[in-house]
Amino acid sequence: MLVTWRYRKRRSLIQSFDPRAWIIFYLCFMGAVISVWDLRALLVLLAMALGVVLTSGIRWREMRRAWLFIGGFVFYFSLFTFLTGRGGVEFYREEHLIRNLVAPFAVFGWQPVIHVTAERAFYALSMLARVFSLASMTILIPYSFNPALYGITFRRLGLPDKIAYAMDLTMRFVPTYARDFQVTMDAQRARGYEIEKLTGGLVSQVRKLAPLIVPVTIQAIAGSEDIIDAMDLRAFGVRPRTWLEELHYRPRDRALIAFGVVAFVCTLALSFVGLFQFWIPASLQSLPLL
Amino acid sequence: MDRKVLNVILILVGVFALFLLVVWVGGSVLNIPRLQTGERPVLRFVVVGIGLLGAFAVYWFTKANKAWEVGTREVVYMAIGAALYAVFSYLFNGTVFVVPSVSQVALRPAICIPMFFGYTFGPVVGFFTGAVGNMVGDALTGFGLYPQWSLGNGLIGLVAGMVMLFGDKKRSMNTVLIISAVLAAIATLIYLFNRTIPNMQFFAPDQGIFGDQQISLVVGLSAVIGFALVLIVRFAFAKNVDWGAAVTWGGLGNLIGLGFAAISDIWINGYPPAVAIVGEFLPSAGPNLVFAAILVPILVAAYAALRRQTGR
Repeated sequence: MLVTWRYRKRRSLIQSFDPRAWIIFYLCFMGAVISVWDLRALLVLLAMALGVVLTSGIRWREMRRAWLFIGGFVFYFSLFTFLTGRGGVEFYREEHLIRNLVAPFAVFGWQPVIHVTAERAFYALSMLARVFSLASMTILIPYSFNPALYGITFRRLGLPDKIAYAMDLTMRFVPTYARDFQVTMDAQRARGYEIEKLTGGLVSQVRKLAPLIVPVTIQAIAGSEDIIDAMDLRAFGVRPRTWLEELHYRPRDRALIAFGVVAFVCTLALSFVGLFQFWIPASLQSLPLL
Repeated sequence: MDRKVLNVILILVGVFALFLLVVWVGGSVLNIPRLQTGERPVLRFVVVGIGLLGAFAVYWFTKANKAWEVGTREVVYMAIGAALYAVFSYLFNGTVFVVPSVSQVALRPAICIPMFFGYTFGPVVGFFTGAVGNMVGDALTGFGLYPQWSLGNGLIGLVAGMVMLFGDKKRSMNTVLIISAVLAAIATLIYLFNRTIPNMQFFAPDQGIFGDQQISLVVGLSAVIGFALVLIVRFAFAKNVDWGAAVTWGGLGNLIGLGFAAISDIWINGYPPAVAIVGEFLPSAGPNLVFAAILVPILVAAYAALRRQTGR
């Protein structure tokens, strides 16, 4: 199976809160991270995110793949920004030179030079802190959100019954279809189909994906009839529905929501009045200009 | 007045107020250049107003239409569509297995799902499939949320499903084709004038390419290539109205939805307009047209066979 909800009941900080409170906090956290560019503030947010990850009780083995993908991606991206200076132009007009790295060779008379400037270095670091804060919080969700509570959580967050139920079903179907996909792929491979070796032009390559996509999709639609019948027999959508599980806010959940909202609003307000903008240490600003 | 109509009006007024607030706080109070309105602020808000009136007109004239109804069947199809879209986007985005890409076109066949679900089961199912599927898919990869792209993906399914509002599918196709042709032509023209912009949608970690390689000719012209394929499906299989209609409506949804997402990045991420169109819109929307023209008819045909078999 490729995707499964690896939720388990764990004794951890993240799972000690009501899922609604956690989702609201997560959205506020994302809003705060997005409105900040100051490395010092970002490090505080990153420390918070890492604190949640370390207390989550999820083992490294379980979430290794997600971390490696995101990590490789972000590190390369920041390195690229650092080397070329692309992307940060919006935030600074002049650059203070720390050192010029001159290549010991020349390509057709052109000698590659890397300008290591304070601005580029700090922009790359800020970028790294931002994306890692967001990713750390996002990766945790499938591991810590109890699948039995999906529907009621979205309902109590204010979505209509039907949409909340559709969200619940969506989350339940994802692992099922991932398994169906794996089974279909194995079956096609047994017939000699090799997705790693698609040949031909663009059109024929796309056409060769159909033996994977069409059976899974049509199988899902054909199989839905039982679910629809079961729901109709229980008079789905006739009246406002009741939910098996109930959610109740405890003082700690209210405190978490209040903390998230206040932190977000303050960050936003302070960023509006000019705080939390892109920052480099004052000592580096005395360096010569590029 | 009907409570539902009142709600819709309140939402539209709310959207207008939000625009005013963003321009007032962001542009006038904080002096953020990309949120300022320039010389004729009133005219710009008139345009926003016309857009909202248009949305209201669509609601008013089609509110009795069955296409907007949500019953048990629709709820289940929404969930199936969103889950399939999430699974396929997760599997094909390069984390699980890497499918080869042809001159900067990464194979992302998942896009046929919101188009097919929108076209077959209606605009509400299409919207949910695109928007929620994109959100869940992004969360699986661990990338966080990008509301404008989720909304754009939702619009793909919504527009594909609008076909249900038209009595005559065949006649609707011609209008849709003309609008799509104009949109594809505008984007391609912008590309021809800005050919050095990087392709921000193309990532190939093993080759060290992270959305920074200059856009290739194939991708630059992909909207035209994709539109040509849509035309071929429309006229080569003229007898099968469903194939043509699914592809043309899905194609229009793709252009409008991703156009919305890319253009909103001008204000959200502060990209210059040409970068948003050439670096973001073309590399995502153009290849999608190709995937749509090939995979959507296959899905429509397979679903028709299923219906014949089960007598539904």
